[in-house]
Amino acid sequence: MKGARVAVKDSIEKTVLNILSKAIDKKLFDVILIPIMVPAGDSYAWVLAQDKSLLDSASSLPPIMSVQGAKALSSVTRMGKTNKKIAALMRPCEIRAVIELSKLSQIELDNIFLISMDCPGVLPLKDWLKDPTKGINSFRKVIQRFVDGDPEPDQSVRPVCTICHRFYDSSAVDLHIGILGKKGEYIFFIPHTTQAETIFAELGLSFKDDISHWQNGVDEVLKQRKKKRSLVQEELKPEVIGLDKLLDTFSNCINCHICQSVCPICYCRQCYFDSDKVKQPPDDYLMRAESKGNISLPPDKILFHLGRMSHMALSCVGCGACEDACPMSIKVAQIFSLIADRSQELFNYIPGESLEEPLPLRVFEEDELHEVETP
Amino acid sequence: MEEKIGVYICECGPNIAENVDIDKVINVVSSLPSVGIVERHKLLCSEDGKKFLKQSIQEHGLTRLVIAACSPKQHEATFMKVCEEAGLNPHLFQLVNIREQCAWIIEDKERATDRATRYVRAALRRIPYHQPLEKREIDCNPDVLVIGGGITGIETSLLLAGPDRKVYLVEKTSFLGGKLREFEKLAPGMESTDKLLKHKIKNVEESENIKVFTNAEVKGVIGFLGNFIAVVKTGENEELEIKVGSVVVATGFDLFDPTKIPRYGYSKFDDVYTSLEFEKMNLNGKILLKNGQPPKSIAIIHCVGREERGYCSAVCCSYSLKFARYLKARFPDVKVSNLYTELSVPGKVYQKFYEETKAMGVDFIRAREIEIKEKVIKYLTEDEKEQNLAVDMVILTPAIQPSSDASKLAEMLKISQDEKGFFAEEHEKLGPVSTSMEGIFIAGCAQGPRNIADSIIQAEAVAGKILSSIIPGKKLEPEARTSEISEALCIGCQTCLEVCAYGAIYFDEIKRVSVVNEILCRGCGNCAASCPSGAASLKHFTATQIHQEVVEALR
Amino acid sequence: MANILKISKNAEEGLRELLRFLLEKKRVKAVFTLRKINENSAVSYSLITDSEMLKDALPLFPLMPQNAGKLLSRLTLKEHLLEPTAAVVRPCELRAFIELVKRKQGSLDNFIFISTTCPGTYPLELSTNGDIWKKLPEYEMCVKEGDIVPDIRPVCQACEHFIPYSADMTIALIGKKDVDKSCEIFLNTEKAEKLIEGMDGELSEGELETKEIKKLHSKRQEKKKELFKEINVESLGLSGLIETFGRCIGCHGCGRVCPICYCVLCDFDSRDYECEPSTYESELKKRGGMRVPPNTVLYQLGRLTHVSVSCVGCGMCTDVCPADIPISTIFLKVGEEVQNLFNYIPGKSVEEAIPLTKYEKEEFAEVED
Repeated sequence: MKGARVAVKDSIEKTVLNILSKAIDKKLFDVILIPIMVPAGDSYAWVLAQDKSLLDSASSLPPIMSVQGAKALSSVTRMGKTNKKIAALMRPCEIRAVIELSKLSQIELDNIFLISMDCPGVLPLKDWLKDPTKGINSFRKVIQRFVDGDPEPDQSVRPVCTICHRFYDSSAVDLHIGILGKKGEYIFFIPHTTQAETIFAELGLSFKDDISHWQNGVDEVLKQRKKKRSLVQEELKPEVIGLDKLLDTFSNCINCHICQSVCPICYCRQCYFDSDKVKQPPDDYLMRAESKGNISLPPDKILFHLGRMSHMALSCVGCGACEDACPMSIKVAQIFSLIADRSQELFNYIPGESLEEPLPLRVFEEDELHEVETP
Repeated sequence: MEEKIGVYICECGPNIAENVDIDKVINVVSSLPSVGIVERHKLLCSEDGKKFLKQSIQEHGLTRLVIAACSPKQHEATFMKVCEEAGLNPHLFQLVNIREQCAWIIEDKERATDRATRYVRAALRRIPYHQPLEKREIDCNPDVLVIGGGITGIETSLLLAGPDRKVYLVEKTSFLGGKLREFEKLAPGMESTDKLLKHKIKNVEESENIKVFTNAEVKGVIGFLGNFIAVVKTGENEELEIKVGSVVVATGFDLFDPTKIPRYGYSKFDDVYTSLEFEKMNLNGKILLKNGQPPKSIAIIHCVGREERGYCSAVCCSYSLKFARYLKARFPDVKVSNLYTELSVPGKVYQKFYEETKAMGVDFIRAREIEIKEKVIKYLTEDEKEQNLAVDMVILTPAIQPSSDASKLAEMLKISQDEKGFFAEEHEKLGPVSTSMEGIFIAGCAQGPRNIADSIIQAEAVAGKILSSIIPGKKLEPEARTSEISEALCIGCQTCLEVCAYGAIYFDEIKRVSVVNEILCRGCGNCAASCPSGAASLKHFTATQIHQEVVEALR
Repeated sequence: MANILKISKNAEEGLRELLRFLLEKKRVKAVFTLRKINENSAVSYSLITDSEMLKDALPLFPLMPQNAGKLLSRLTLKEHLLEPTAAVVRPCELRAFIELVKRKQGSLDNFIFISTTCPGTYPLELSTNGDIWKKLPEYEMCVKEGDIVPDIRPVCQACEHFIPYSADMTIALIGKKDVDKSCEIFLNTEKAEKLIEGMDGELSEGELETKEIKKLHSKRQEKKKELFKEINVESLGLSGLIETFGRCIGCHGCGRVCPICYCVLCDFDSRDYECEPSTYESELKKRGGMRVPPNTVLYQLGRLTHVSVSCVGCGMCTDVCPADIPISTIFLKVGEEVQNLFNYIPGKSVEEAIPLTKYEKEEFAEVED
């Protein structure tokens, strides 16, 4: 595979933004979906930017993930495909969630051009909100450390970001921007589709350059990340294996369901666990209270988490939006991605890697999972 | 309106009465709210029992009914009918199984009684949530689409066609008759095929009520029992929309490709022919070697591809006998050897046919590891001896396998194929010519290898099914306990659609929600189970209904 | 003058004893209160039927993991309680429950409400590290002194409705110097008096509203003025709203934990608010850009419209907001203004209908032409 090597001017962020700006100028896209700084300067929001001037306050690599990009894109095309040519610039985990949502008919990918960039992680929202200006500066350091090739991830990012093993491109993306490998002096525009080549050729990019520097950069970081991920997950296991441990770990949970509402994969209009079906007459709860002497209210907190896990684990992209939003600082993302990794392995399924690969739940294989059959 | 629930406990002769203390159950149940009356009866499914139930429902003005008796599989339908006759919606009734699930499996009477009480209490907790589901009726189109113009398709068409029922017969080649067209005679009677086929084809072509399309292909079928719409591409390249009420798949078979087994020497050596090729040669009167000479020694190799396909093709032994007869008739001194793995001549007529053929001096050799070489066949006998047989013509009897376009057709019709690729019948004994799609039938070799007589039997079976179920002017009663998808809650992920085995869910592109076709829905519940948010739910088996029942059963 | 039952134990232990008495003497079938649920001292609301479990009950623990009004509504949504249950709840939680009862989202039947003069609750954040346990001595001191407890929820610091309106029993806390030695249970109803018959303790009479309470009331009023000055809601305007809610991520967590938000499927989550492609296209045409997902501020305005008349200022919303938006301050301000318009105090009396459902012919003449 070849790419286009682009010299970085000012910053990686600005370099990418300039190229996208030119793309709008030349009408190669009608709209760019990109995070733009909000009026108060304390956050970033996804904006469908048709007017080029909006890009002045945009960021191609924002320090936070306020809303998971796939959620934003899904609100645009859930009700039908867009007639505008939209280029969406998102983090790899957001792109993966987009692909998963596309399989669930929540995003129509027609006329949507997906661009991803190597991701150093994002700062937790609460940390950022303490001092946004400081946050911008500290994130610059995070990016630099990442592109310098430091295999140790910066600890100021989300815990799941420090163990992320999918920080590079998914095969399903149209164009990927590699920022590793050249310490931030050069970045690589790597097309995955002929459409990407054609469009970006119009901007003067020729995809003839060798990208082995970037590939090596990715490999180096990936090696360390995989090790770290294994380690951290092993350490986490004793906290969650067995119902007692799980109950303990979630004992502070207040059942607010914010983890579910920020999760890109949780697409249900009404969560089953909020529906009328789980609401019982007082007799029910009293009976349950009597059997153990008491019942915690609201009831069935763990059932909600296990239910959510069973519904979305196969598509979990480990973005960490859930953990970031949890008001009780429960390690939701770390726990869910531990289970997600194992479930996905069972079906040899990598979420967001290929549009063609159907969701495991929808595929019937007669010869499968013999290890869980009764002998 | 005040609910008045009636509870009736059946003694089922001694079956329940001996193992469950029914009076105790009555005691507990009588005190429960909304229970208007609790009674026992010796045998509720008897004529007397049913009369008693009907009277009770009407006399006591019961609004809901719980019967504790045998398995729903046994008598749910019986009692639902009683409800209907008594003016009570049959879905406001619950049959509790205290026989198979209680009296028959628990020895200790106290435990059995406790279990029975639990189940009845559970049903009583469930039943207030039952909905009076409405019976539905739809008009049905009596016309039939028959796909395949071989003997099976022809026979089916002739049986069904009538002034009230049009048949559309679609055949992909230019001729009707299928494989039979190239058979000179038919086993075991050795009568000429023409006798069977010619006049049937004439009847089809002359029938006012059968429209034949040759060089035609079915491009798509949508709809449901009584209301199918098929798109047929005709020989003139037109696309026609045909409305029918049922579809019959009679697409026949292809032969297993013997080149897959190189030791049979097909297309490697001269004068190695498949059975169909030989039939053609025979029909043309030209049973000759490549060098133009008549053959002197012929081997008919049975079971070609039997091991590979994993089944016996049922007809090869029979027609091999026919081939022997063809050969002996033309060349009285010719040597005919049959090499077989197993010999299969079932039925009341073939044994005789076999013995008479053998008496003509035809050899039957049980052989293994058959290898065809240039004009000689090497094989192993039953007792492992190596033998050589000099022949100048070899006829292979390749296995019968599904036709090459079976998969495409199966997908189009949303019917299943079995693991061998034949169209799958609903059940070997309980539904031998039906498929999982109501209104779509299969007959002949499309369903599995069989001889002409059996194919005709299947054609008659299909005709019987269609004639009795899709009567012109008749109304059909589809399943009432169907799935429903809440438009407010559905977010259009189409998971339900993907897991529906009956194609009963379609996606409304404008509203972006999945919708259940209540006529096609069989109430299996796959969609409800796969819907994460509960937008899809199964009538009469809602989460609430099941939950209430389980909670009470466990109390 | 009200009857008081005085137990010579600290307030929390005394309350535990009361609950134990009620359960053991079968005066109630179950007790609803906060309880320590594991070794790590996690605290959660519990429905307790076994008096043994009461040893872990923490009825006065300064934590509100959910607004109990929402939980009591969940408990009695389908049907009223069939047997008496004692529920220990805060004044705002009780008010919230009554507002829900008015909307048929619960039933008061068979409840015995036990509340306190409420010193406030700590933000959820502090419970994640076990910090609340560390703060208990300071909490107790402020209770004794009748001072505003520092670090409790801002809306608690500004709360004027800290005396329960319709509790059967009220535990006097605020300004009681002997709260670590004595538990004073005010018996506000006949029901309450019957329930404690036979219980060990001293009966006396007294007034709930002491001068310490009055003092705290004015302190809290001052605090409210300060709080509202920090976020001057009146001066926000649309641009101010956009700035304040700019960092809102649309998670709807505020609505989820709000006791008054009772809708099974929020309109903003329903199909009604889905954006069709034509909507985007026309917005882009008009303004050159559009924030997605849309309706961030609209959701807040919608919720304000629906909820403000019943907002009890419990503060759950601010606590759960991942973007640290001071939602409860804004809702409390708007809520009070709306409630004042109708002279309505949410949850004060179940007989008083919600303003929305009452038609007055002579009303708001000032906004007519």
